[in-house]
Amino acid sequence: MSTASAAAVVKQKVEAPVHPMDARIDELTDYIMKNCLWQFHSRSWDRERQNAEILKKTKELLCGEPVDLSTSHDRCYWVDAVCLADDYREHYPWINSMSKEEIGSLMQGLKDRMDYLTITGSLNEELSDKHY
Amino acid sequence: MPHHEFECSKVIPERKKHAVIKGKGETLADALPQGYLNTIPGSISERGCAYCGAKHVIGTPMKDVIHISHGPVGCTYDTWQTKRYISDNDNFQLKYTYATDVKEKHIVFGAEKLLKQNIIEAFKAFPQIKRMTIYQTCATALIGDDINAIAEEVMEEMPEVDIFVCNSPGFAGPSQSGGHHKINIAWINQKVGTVEPEITGDHVINYVGEYNIQGDQEVMVDYFKRMGIQVLSTFTGNGSYDGLRAMHRAHLNVLECARSAEYICNELRVRYGIPRLDIDGFGFKPLADSLRKIGMFFGIEDRAKAIIDEEVARWKPELDWYKERLMGKKVCLWPGGSKLWHWAHVIEEEMGLKVVSVYTKFGHQGDMEKGIARCGEGTLAIDDPNELEGLEALEMLKPDIILTGKRPGEVAKKVRVPYLNAHAYHNGPYKGFEGWVRFARDIYNAIYSPIHQLSGIDITKDNAPEWGNGFRTRQMLSDGNLSDAVRNSETLRQYTGGYDSVSKLREREYPAFERKVG
Repeated sequence: MSTASAAAVVKQKVEAPVHPMDARIDELTDYIMKNCLWQFHSRSWDRERQNAEILKKTKELLCGEPVDLSTSHDRCYWVDAVCLADDYREHYPWINSMSKEEIGSLMQGLKDRMDYLTITGSLNEELSDKHY
Repeated sequence: MPHHEFECSKVIPERKKHAVIKGKGETLADALPQGYLNTIPGSISERGCAYCGAKHVIGTPMKDVIHISHGPVGCTYDTWQTKRYISDNDNFQLKYTYATDVKEKHIVFGAEKLLKQNIIEAFKAFPQIKRMTIYQTCATALIGDDINAIAEEVMEEMPEVDIFVCNSPGFAGPSQSGGHHKINIAWINQKVGTVEPEITGDHVINYVGEYNIQGDQEVMVDYFKRMGIQVLSTFTGNGSYDGLRAMHRAHLNVLECARSAEYICNELRVRYGIPRLDIDGFGFKPLADSLRKIGMFFGIEDRAKAIIDEEVARWKPELDWYKERLMGKKVCLWPGGSKLWHWAHVIEEEMGLKVVSVYTKFGHQGDMEKGIARCGEGTLAIDDPNELEGLEALEMLKPDIILTGKRPGEVAKKVRVPYLNAHAYHNGPYKGFEGWVRFARDIYNAIYSPIHQLSGIDITKDNAPEWGNGFRTRQMLSDGNLSDAVRNSETLRQYTGGYDSVSKLREREYPAFERKVG
């Protein structure tokens, strides 16, 4: 990769998204950051896909909805989602008493936060490198 | 998360952007150290070169290969044997190293003939070995030797051999990480897909970014085999050359060290559609989750669960013995690239340690993102530190132990900070459930070593204190503040495994699982 060109890019500060359930989203975000690795692939397009697929499947598991496992890639996202959903239920029991709509809103807020921290607000200058 | 300026580096103002202290409520979007940039002139870096990163870190753990450097003998000598990546074929790749021994006259007249002569000589000296990797160095890159052409010539003349050429001279990147990148891409471009493997089971993985430091790979492969998983290749510790040519046939890439090997995983996903699963082989909970995920992917979660239950029951009481005695001890976590994030959170959770600093010599900003995300408030994160910054950080943070490589480790010892080799390990392996206990045991032994009672006394001084209090053992030092319940616990115990936890795995017989597909 071109380190010189990467170094020359200065990212503008992006404002963090705001959500009514911010305190709870903070807790869920911190758990991912401390215990997971899937959110830190090296390029922005991979991070977008990882965040979208794994958090979508986590939300479906938490809501008791069917999960698409039709491809090997789906299964790979799903295994990370299963562990995350189980840990959320264990460490944050308040999630078990939420309605599907509330979980949906919470998980959308979580995805927005993760996208901000790992992609749009990230200061990592290699995210936009076109090659692996 | 403000940038941190070292007193010793005020004369190098660019260095300020390479260190941050994680503040309360601050996130990765507030500050991140610069990373993977050319070392700033005037800062004496502890980095390796791109040749070292390709050959020493990634290439040479392959076990059934003659690894030859095309260049001065010093390049090969300095990348020989200093990292303990053992193998199950009597450590062939550690015992021997090869160089074309380029001299001044070859720089003037060219060294291609010398290279060809050396290749043939090496194959004749070891007729049982039919595979070779050749590494470019600065000198031969600058004179323009065409290694690929020579390799092709030899392969035409000796059709039974196969040769891989790695063009990653020392200057081909800011650090060893540039070499990791180059050899990843070179391997998939040149070699993946050139061998069709025998598939023996329903569940087939590549185990990627694992270098078998003191047997790490063998511990993890033991778990995989007990689950009925075929490990097609390991990239690259204890891995075979032809196994790695067959990586395209795996169902899943299981990735440990993303710093050194995510490139090939990403390319395998794009070119061959193989998913990438990042795992943690260190720590009980991360390892258990990792085995469970792999099990779920293949629909054999029950097999993973049986292994986890057995291993946790066997080793948890020993891990907890050390945790009680390591609680609150301050750690500077200064390893290479991946271990700073593999270990940052889990050594706090499972060993009770407190990480006060993370650093990486050659990591990228992505590694710092992972490391800082896993650390608590107040942690000092440093990119590509020089020796003076390291000393200043030790003075400021006053850690109880430093986990690092042998160069900064020896410096730390001089200022009486206990050091544990996080790079090649002291008494590994450290992966696996038993390995994690061995790691805790080594940390405990380092922190409470009785030698520190003596090493602090300067006997050159006339008024040096007399040694009158008697000698205190390691356990006398560690158990003084423990409750009676912990000190006299009948469930907690020290490590009871053997000196060698790896050789026995090579004799193990594995269950045969019936195949579902032909």
